[in-house]
Formats: sequence, structure tokens, C-alpha cells
Amino acid sequence: MGDAVSPVALDGLRVLDFCRLGFGSQATMILGCLGAEVIRIESTTRPDPIRVMPPFVPEPGEVGQGFGGATLANAQKQQSANRGGIFYKYNTGGKRSIAVDARTPEGLDLLKELVQVSDVVTESFAAGTLARWGLDYETLRELRPDIIYVSMCGYGHVGPDSHYVTMGPTAQALTGLTHMVGLPDREPAGWSFSYLDHVGGYLGAFGILTALAHRRATGEGQHVDVSQLEPATALGGALLLDRSVNGRSSRRPDFPPGNRRGGAPQGAYRALGDDRWIVISCSTEEHWRNFVAALGHPSWTADPRFATLAGRVEHADDLDRNVESWTEQFDRYDAMEILQRGGVPAGAVQDAADRVERDPQLEARGQFTRLTSTEVGELPLEGVPFALSATPPDTGGTIHRGPPDMDEDRDYVLREVLGLTHDAVARLVDSGALR
Amino acid sequence: MTGALDGLRIVELVDEPVEYCGRLLAGLGAEVIKLEPVGGAPSRQVGPFVDGREGDPDASLHFWHFNVGKRSVVAADDEAVRRVCASADVVIHTLGRAAAKERGLDHESLTAAHPGVISCVITPFGLTGPWADYQADDLVLMALGGSMAVCGYGTDDPPLACWGDQAWLTASTYGAIAVLAALDHRDRTGEGQLIDVSAHQASASMTEWHVMTYLCTGAPMARFRHPTVTARDGKQVAALVPDFLGPHVFKNFLTMLEADGVAGPLSDPAFEDPRHRARGYGELMAATQRLADRHDGEELFRLGQEAGLPWGVIRSPDEALVDRHLQARGHFVEIDGITHSGAPFIANGSPFSFDRPPPRLGQHTDEVLEAIESQEPKP
Repeated sequence: MGDAVSPVALDGLRVLDFCRLGFGSQATMILGCLGAEVIRIESTTRPDPIRVMPPFVPEPGEVGQGFGGATLANAQKQQSANRGGIFYKYNTGGKRSIAVDARTPEGLDLLKELVQVSDVVTESFAAGTLARWGLDYETLRELRPDIIYVSMCGYGHVGPDSHYVTMGPTAQALTGLTHMVGLPDREPAGWSFSYLDHVGGYLGAFGILTALAHRRATGEGQHVDVSQLEPATALGGALLLDRSVNGRSSRRPDFPPGNRRGGAPQGAYRALGDDRWIVISCSTEEHWRNFVAALGHPSWTADPRFATLAGRVEHADDLDRNVESWTEQFDRYDAMEILQRGGVPAGAVQDAADRVERDPQLEARGQFTRLTSTEVGELPLEGVPFALSATPPDTGGTIHRGPPDMDEDRDYVLREVLGLTHDAVARLVDSGALR
Repeated sequence: MTGALDGLRIVELVDEPVEYCGRLLAGLGAEVIKLEPVGGAPSRQVGPFVDGREGDPDASLHFWHFNVGKRSVVAADDEAVRRVCASADVVIHTLGRAAAKERGLDHESLTAAHPGVISCVITPFGLTGPWADYQADDLVLMALGGSMAVCGYGTDDPPLACWGDQAWLTASTYGAIAVLAALDHRDRTGEGQLIDVSAHQASASMTEWHVMTYLCTGAPMARFRHPTVTARDGKQVAALVPDFLGPHVFKNFLTMLEADGVAGPLSDPAFEDPRHRARGYGELMAATQRLADRHDGEELFRLGQEAGLPWGVIRSPDEALVDRHLQARGHFVEIDGITHSGAPFIANGSPFSFDRPPPRLGQHTDEVLEAIESQEPKP
């Protein structure tokens, strides 16, 4: 992506980042890719769970272990804090790491010094945790009057249920996202991953940037309270309004409609190979004409029932059987090429291996940047999905590095950011504040 | 109190479902002008409609949701489009390179008309690369991006995409983030720039640990459904007992089960060993179901939450309207008597809010064009 001389969008911005797990770290990762300096405050005694959770980046010659084994027993294996694979998903952007024990007076003082030289403080603890350490918003503001404090936790800091806890599947259930995935007349299938960890993080980044815009205009900081629920309620589109205006609920037998969106043929069709699929989505007459031509006008496409969009939708099950009789003969990528070249929206159902190994578009766009982290070496890692012409994002941040090893940047933070002397650092080490 | 983008003018010219980008920026106080063709934006024809008023461009609830807070200007021709764009700080559009150039809306032309302008272009695959001219709707984006491969009931059933343009919404959100970053740069340097958002990349970025799992293990994740329990009233509840969050999780879980008298074999001290629990996870689910048999969904989820467990009842989106917590946070807002979903966060210094209802087709054409004319230099 960017080269060393390109300016960055968030030039000179420093973020003091207490985030753990996915949600908050997704937000600060975006800022890092945009050129902010993100300093992770970590704990060696209570490490970020995703540092010590499977899947583990294997040692050379070792066979990796999947997330399916994510039990406390596994986490207690005393793995290195630098091999938890999920950590590498959420902590690109050239983040720095220093371990500080806030429960020691020296550690707390050190954090207060860091607040004074930071623009933004981010955290994703349970509501009230940072306040109990003595770092509530009022204190942060005394230390740095224009500080931007962004808290990101499941239910947010305000409200009667702010002590509730969420993970992605929890928030997805409560806000309707789980309900929106499934076939008619079946129980919801839901998402098999934490989509809302991402969405919450995106809105966290949006909130931080909002507060920065406000600070540029007024000189004032603020507390932005992000929950995992509110960013999700807009994702159901008109379903809320359908209830508040028309009184119609989406808890009804024909919803969700699987992969049908009002067009036909529209859905996932089996292709050659085991559990290989291609999605075809014809929503207009033009798409259908293109589709028929791309297939070479097989006789079933002339069936009068399929002559109009309304007819194709009405007889979609029959149509789909015919479509699948064609797709089954093709490799999913070959079918995609035939259809796309003919002007039909179509795409292979790709898994993670496909995206890393077989997607020429992601390759050309630089979706994966090979970055080096100290212990695990080089990995292809993801950043932000956009290009900027004047301030190119960099998945390795301004330091072009992979996610940090635990406490990797102690010297940088203490010596270069705070300008402490060698002796002052030694005293901090002796005090037990750096762990 | 004012919004963070007060005084900023954003023009939106979009065909793909990325109106969410402008909605987010309207919430920050920017003046967002939606440019529409004479017959109205395509999104005005997307249902559901108010009282079944199908086809009425002012009655699409889909349009209402994604365009609340914006102004509608009908542009009779491309000359009018370019004129409105020349007055904007930010132009959001969905045109590919060739189409943008042909219409004089490429970044170079926009910059010539208004130095410092920010172009935010959101397209299926981005403006470059071998697939740049391919067509995709949300379903295709969810397939290529990886969500579908892992969502569904299993390999006997097809991969499933979530309803509601989630890949486009993710791309829109990234677009709004990039606009704020570009504004930061512009405020410091006066320089605008081209933002090129790929919805495909956005979709590919949102599958949590899946790429890492492949990189770590050599095998991609299988398609599966998170287990749920069925409450007394038939509602499904996501009732996870995530052991990896710490030893308190099982302890609290067991206390709750014992209080209801349904702990069964879990009271065996052998379950204090996490390895035993991992082997006997089926017993944990069975006990959770026994508990679920005795409570309605909303009650069951709160019972779990009060015990410190990340439980959630599976609601339809509209059922979140009565959530006491979201209500107390002031999340749902009334605009002209209609309840909308509101701010994505609480920002007391610069609140996110909509200062106007969704616009009728062309509602602001005259006032916006007159204002632009009065601001243009006189010949």
C-alpha cells in the first residue's frame, strides 16, 4: 500500500488503547491503518484473551489447532502470549505494546503520564472498570482537558442493563441480526461468527473520528459511549419502520426469505466439487436475457412460465432446479467467469482459503499485506478495504510492522514517548509496575 | 449543541445500496444533499411501503430508513449534477471510472471545479483490479466475501446470506470512516482526495477469526449454526457458556442452575475441571435446555445475564424497539411522529441526531439550487 514518504490521514494522532478482544481493537486497528500511533496497554498477568486463545499460529513444522478447542483448558496451556491467531486479525495498523500494572501506584502514575501525551483513550472493559482503577473520564480530563475518551463495551456505560455482557452472538440475537439469517419456516441459522464485533468496532472508529472533528472545530474533547447494540439496529433496514409505521413484525413465517431478494434465478447453486457453490442473482429482465445468452439458450429457458420476472419468481423452485442442472457441470470460478463475462451478477461462494489463495481481485487490491511480527514471523494480514489517493492507508501502520508481541515496545514508550531516563525506567521495573 | 460536521456540505449520487454512508454523515450535522433523477432514486421503489402504497416514491420505508436527515434535489441533467457537486465538500457516488469520467464526475474533474473536494466512491469491487467491471449485488458480495460459506444449517442446505445488504452497509460504514479521515487531512493541509471503497474487500474483512484459522490450521471453517436453546414460549435463546472467559463463568452458571433445581449431573465436582467440562459440553447444553423449559425467552436471557453470562434472546429486529436499555439510552427517536433507529453511540459533546425527516422526492430542489446560485461568483 503506501510507501514511506506518503503522508498519513491521522498524522500525529496518539491513541492510548486499553482494548481487548475484537470489538474495541477493531476500532483502533482502523485508526492505526490511517496513520495514528496506537499504544496498547497490556497485562502480562491477565493477557488479552485473544493473545492466548486458539487458533494458534503454529511453530515451524507444527500442526495448528482450530478455534473449536477454545476451552479454558487450552487457554491454560501456558501458551506464549504471541501465538493467539485472532489477535493478529484485530491488531494490525502498527500498534505498539507495553505492559503496565494499573494496580500498582507506579503503574497508575505511568498511565496518567501517558494520558497527558495522548489525544484519545480507548477501552473495552466492562462498564466501570477503568473508573475503579482511578481513570474515570473526569480524571482523564483533568490530566488532559481536550482528551477524547471512547468506551466500547457490550451494553455501553449508560442505562439500566449496563452490567450485562455480550459477545457477538449475544448482540446479534438481541438486535435481530441472528433472526435475519435463515430459511423460511426454519429456526434462525444466524451468523457463525461475530459480525457485530466488527460493526461495533467500525462505529467505534467512526465515533473517535467524530470526536476528533468536533475537537478540531471547538478545541473540546468528549466521552463517546459505544455499545454493541446500537450500531446494529440500523442494519435491519426498514424492518423497524415496518413495525413502527405499518405495525408489521418480521417475526412471520416467510421471513427471512433465505437468499431470495425478489429476483429469479437468485440464490446459491451447487457447482462441481464437494460443498462448492456459486451465487447467481438476476433481479432484472436484462440480467435474465444475459443469463439465457450466457448459457447458450438451453431449451428450458424458453419455458413460458419463465418469460417474465413475476413468472420466474412464482416458479422459482422449478427454475432453480434447471439452473442447478447447469451450474453442477462447472467449477464455481468457471461458472462465475462465464456469467460475469455475459453481464450476469454472479460469484463463487468463497471460504477463507479461497480469499487468501484464489481471489485475483483481493490480490490486486492488496487485501493481504505480508507483515512481520517478532515471534511469529511473517503473516498475510488485513487492514481497511479502501484506497486513499493522498494519504494511503498502511496495514502495518507508520512503522510497517505486524501486530506487537506482548510488551514489545516498552523502551520505545518509556524512552521515546515519555522521555524517561535509563534510571527512571530501571526504577519502574523494580517497582513491579511493568508487567 | 452542534454536530461535529455542522456547516459541511455532502452531495450523494448513488445507485448501489450505499445510502447508509450519507445517513451516518447526516447524523453528524452535515448538510447531505441527495441528488436524484427525475423519476426518483431506485431506492424509492424498494419496499416495504407505507400502508401498501407500492410504487409511491414518497412511501418507501426502505428509502425513509436510509435517507432520514437528508435533502432531496432532483437534477434534470448532468449539467445540474455537476453544478451541485461543485458546491460540495464531499461527493459520494457509485460510478465506475469510465462512467464517472464520461459524466465529468471523476475526481480530477470534481477537483478542477472545486479544489479540495473529497470524492468517496463506493463500488462492488473498487475502481481497480481484474474484477473492477464485474457486477455484484449484496448476495454476490456476501458469497465472494466469505460470510455465506460459513453461515447456514450445514452442508445439506445452501450457504446463506443475511437479509438486508450487509456487505453494502459495511462498505458504507467504511466510506463514512474514510470521509472523516480525509476531512482530518483536509483541515490540516487543504488537500482533498479520492476515496476508493471496495464492497468486496469490506465483505471479505468481516469474518472474524476465519482467515486466521485458515492460516493457522490450513483448513477453512465449516458452515455451522451456533447452538441455541428453546425457551418455554418457543423463543430461541443464544445461551453460551464461554469457558474461555474465566473460571467464574461455570461457577455462576452452576449456581443459577442449582437455584432452579435443574443442575442434574453438573453438580458432580468432576465438572469443576475445565477439561471434564470440555468433554461433557453436551451435559452443559442439556442443563441449559432444562432451565429454558421453565422460563420465557426474555426472562431466560435476563436470568443468564444477571449471572454474568453473555446470553441473548433471539429477537426479530422490531422486537428490539421495546428493549428497556435501548430506550433508556434514548436510542430510538421520533421524527414527525415516526420512530426511527437513532444514534449509533452516545456522544454528548457532539450528538448524533437527524434534524429532518426523510425527504419527499425533490422537496429541496428549489431552495438548494437557489442557495448554490447565490453563492456562485457572478459573471
